[in-house]
Amino acid sequence: MTGYIIKRLISAVPVLLGISVIVFLIMAMIPGDPATAILGSYATPENVEKLNRDLGLDKPLVQRYFIWLGNMLQGDFGRSFSLNRAVLDEVLERFNATLVLAGTSFVICSILGVAAGVVSASRQYGLADKAITFAVLLGISIPSFFLGMMMILIFAVNLRWFPVSGMWPIYGARDLSALVSHLTLPAIALAVVATGVIARLSRSAMLEVLRQDFIRTARAKGVHERSVIWRHGLRAAMVSIIPVLGIQAGFVLSGAVYIEMVFQWPGVGRMLVDAILKRDILLVQGGVVFVAACYVLFNIAVDVAQSLLDPRIKA
Amino acid sequence: MSFLRLLSRNRLALAGLIVMSVVVLLAALTPLLPLPDPDVTNTAERFKKPFSEGALLGTDHLGRDLASRLMWGTRLSLAVGFAAAVAAATIGAAIGVIAGFYGGRVDNVIMRGVDMLMGFPYILLALAIVAALGPGLMNALIAVAAVNIPFFARNIRGVTVGIAHKEFVDAARLCGMSNARIIITEVVPNVIPVIVIAMSTTVGWMILETAGLSFLGLGSQPPQADLGSMLGEARSALITNPHSSVVPGAMILVIVMAINLLGDGVRDALDPRLKSGALSRPMPTTMVRRTDPVPQPEGDGILSLRDLQTQFHVKDRIYKAVGRVDLSVRPGEFLGIIGESGSGKSVTALSIMGLVASPPGVITGGAVHYKGEDLIGAPYATLRRLRGDRVAYIFQDPQATLHPLYTVGAQLIEAIQSHHRTSTSEARARAIELLKSVRIPNAEARVDNYPHEMSGGMRQRVGIAVALANDPEVIIADEPTTALDVTVQAQILALLGDLRRERGLAIIFITHDFGVVAQLCDRVAVMYAGRIVEEGPTDAILNAPAHPYTARLMACVPELGQGRRQLAAIPGLPPVVDKLPAGCAFADRCPKAASACRSGDIALGALGPARKIRCIDPEIPVQEATA
Repeated sequence: MTGYIIKRLISAVPVLLGISVIVFLIMAMIPGDPATAILGSYATPENVEKLNRDLGLDKPLVQRYFIWLGNMLQGDFGRSFSLNRAVLDEVLERFNATLVLAGTSFVICSILGVAAGVVSASRQYGLADKAITFAVLLGISIPSFFLGMMMILIFAVNLRWFPVSGMWPIYGARDLSALVSHLTLPAIALAVVATGVIARLSRSAMLEVLRQDFIRTARAKGVHERSVIWRHGLRAAMVSIIPVLGIQAGFVLSGAVYIEMVFQWPGVGRMLVDAILKRDILLVQGGVVFVAACYVLFNIAVDVAQSLLDPRIKA
Repeated sequence: MSFLRLLSRNRLALAGLIVMSVVVLLAALTPLLPLPDPDVTNTAERFKKPFSEGALLGTDHLGRDLASRLMWGTRLSLAVGFAAAVAAATIGAAIGVIAGFYGGRVDNVIMRGVDMLMGFPYILLALAIVAALGPGLMNALIAVAAVNIPFFARNIRGVTVGIAHKEFVDAARLCGMSNARIIITEVVPNVIPVIVIAMSTTVGWMILETAGLSFLGLGSQPPQADLGSMLGEARSALITNPHSSVVPGAMILVIVMAINLLGDGVRDALDPRLKSGALSRPMPTTMVRRTDPVPQPEGDGILSLRDLQTQFHVKDRIYKAVGRVDLSVRPGEFLGIIGESGSGKSVTALSIMGLVASPPGVITGGAVHYKGEDLIGAPYATLRRLRGDRVAYIFQDPQATLHPLYTVGAQLIEAIQSHHRTSTSEARARAIELLKSVRIPNAEARVDNYPHEMSGGMRQRVGIAVALANDPEVIIADEPTTALDVTVQAQILALLGDLRRERGLAIIFITHDFGVVAQLCDRVAVMYAGRIVEEGPTDAILNAPAHPYTARLMACVPELGQGRRQLAAIPGLPPVVDKLPAGCAFADRCPKAASACRSGDIALGALGPARKIRCIDPEIPVQEATA
């Protein structure tokens, strides 16, 4: 198992490099030069040239990439001009908030989505199946930002069950109960779409599995129907559900940007949007690379989980 | 066109199509409608409520008419979403076709890049692209299209790889056609359905994503507004004037939902697997719909089938897989059921414990008595209690019938614990004992193996061990040796014979192999087209088959040491069981068929004291059978 994990980690190196190249190239496409963006359009040419030199922008592209990569590997993601702060510090702080939000959402959508899919499949064409299918359709069609706004309107403004926005109360203790009450609405709003997608794919994965011969064997053994569905069926279906969970984790992680905007959540997504609008390129670059790298590592964890679940994968 | 017919049969998809048509039509006609200018501000009239004078849906924070802005915004959102979808599909498909068609190095390089892009969290990549290009609707469109290209490329590549090795492509190559021409004339037409499916399932996403970027302020810039930026602008007044948020938000919901319904319909209509209804899950027990009175138990059999009828109802067709079968097995007896593929022998066996996949299977008549208790009408709880405990099954192909993700030990333990309250360590000891009893060497280690770590013969022994786990009284073995090679088959058969002698088991053995029948069975029943055509002691039938079908079937078996004999295949094919002829089902293939054979139902009559036959002109005289 350790060998397998090491092997997967090594195979992630080219992927991570590729991601850094892609991000670097996208950022290098930027028309005009960042120095002008930083200094404003009234800057003197001398100042622009000096800043370009300071930022290393007068060097060839390839050289610039390796300097950037080398700095990143040493933990230097550059400095955000709009915040006047080290990019990595800002990203780490913001990513923490995003992780709380997206992590909670991911747990919600995985559990609810798989459960809904299994129930739906095991009562195919029944009332529960139809109700779930309709709810799923609604869930995957509603824009999360619109859903979040409606939830604020109903549960925060009218019913006053939850705070309207933010991660922490402005006054008062920053304890777990404060976090939970601030987290509930955004986490649910973010989870809805992914729940729908997971439920859909879990349902079809279960239907596929429940037709297999080994399900008939389980029934012929006299195994309780509950175990047939949840033990035999789900265990086999998980093999195709887990990769879907991995993909949905990416959607939850990056889709958090909308929810962070709606709920004023101090996450990395909102930071990126602000940075894009302020043309703070180094902050965008650092944020994107960091989040993408974390997602790659998360996918390795998904692969490891997959190999633990399926003994046929050579570990 | 059957595609449109299938689509229209799906009511939800039809609803989606209608809604979408209305929305698209309204969007197309927007410039012609008598609407106020969407961009004219009038701060005196700001935040008018819906249904107020002069503004059907009210006004926004700058006093602009919401109905007008909604129509223009919808127009823009649809246009951008579809444009992104078409762009992503075209570029993605082109990349996929090239990668799939050329293969090798080209494929490798392209797909590495595609995988890399798919390794990004989707929206993050779109944000990065917008960051580089700058906010704006066109740039948002490019970003959304770009992040969807890998999805199309990967899907289309998969399909193309399949097509690139088809005969018609080889033929085109041999004709000297250039690669470009082959791609355009042979490959592209074949991948278009896949592109359509992929587009129909993603265009909703793309509309959502462009709206999302606009919502974040990265898409359309004021005063121009799509649905997303309308929602984004309305956000600051969400609490005081929710209607300005609800109007564009609900519109996005309606559009995306309609597209998703339609997309599902398109996918279902184009996916042949769903058309046949194959994706329906079997219920825990076979459906029972008996109209005739239930037959009473008779005879001394521990398990007896009376008048059993099982059918498959697929759409309007009814396949009579089992038509009035009578069988009975006594303790310690080895009963064989022999017949060709499709003769209904497996369905008969599965009907006993309600294991026929349902839908489409339905038991429409008859009874199965286990010790006098009717199993066909029995509730699920009774069947579950008996399954595996009193009546156990051994299936063909243990590769597919054992659960691939549990160790054989776990599967044995489960079989025991489903019927007995024992500790897991006790059950495990019993599992090892069972593996030893089916002569698996090194059972203590083997118990922790997964099925894929064992050979076919080994797995079949595990299947037998599972069947023996609770000391059943009846074992139903459905071609348990068909997938095995001859030496392993002999060992398994010998094992079954021993078990019957040692434990006094009643065994129903289903096979198409006369050799196996001769070796093991006390009695044999011959099935044809869902009915028993002949039944009796094995020796008697093998020595002197009475039904013409049995005789022809035996003539098909080559015998060792009797070379130079012509193997007589039976002319014709077995009848399809949804259109059974009146009278004898074998009549069309029988050399002795007379008009009487086709006129009425032929009963399973007695032929001497021990044999039964369903034929008006048996191959042997009645006296000979008696003798």
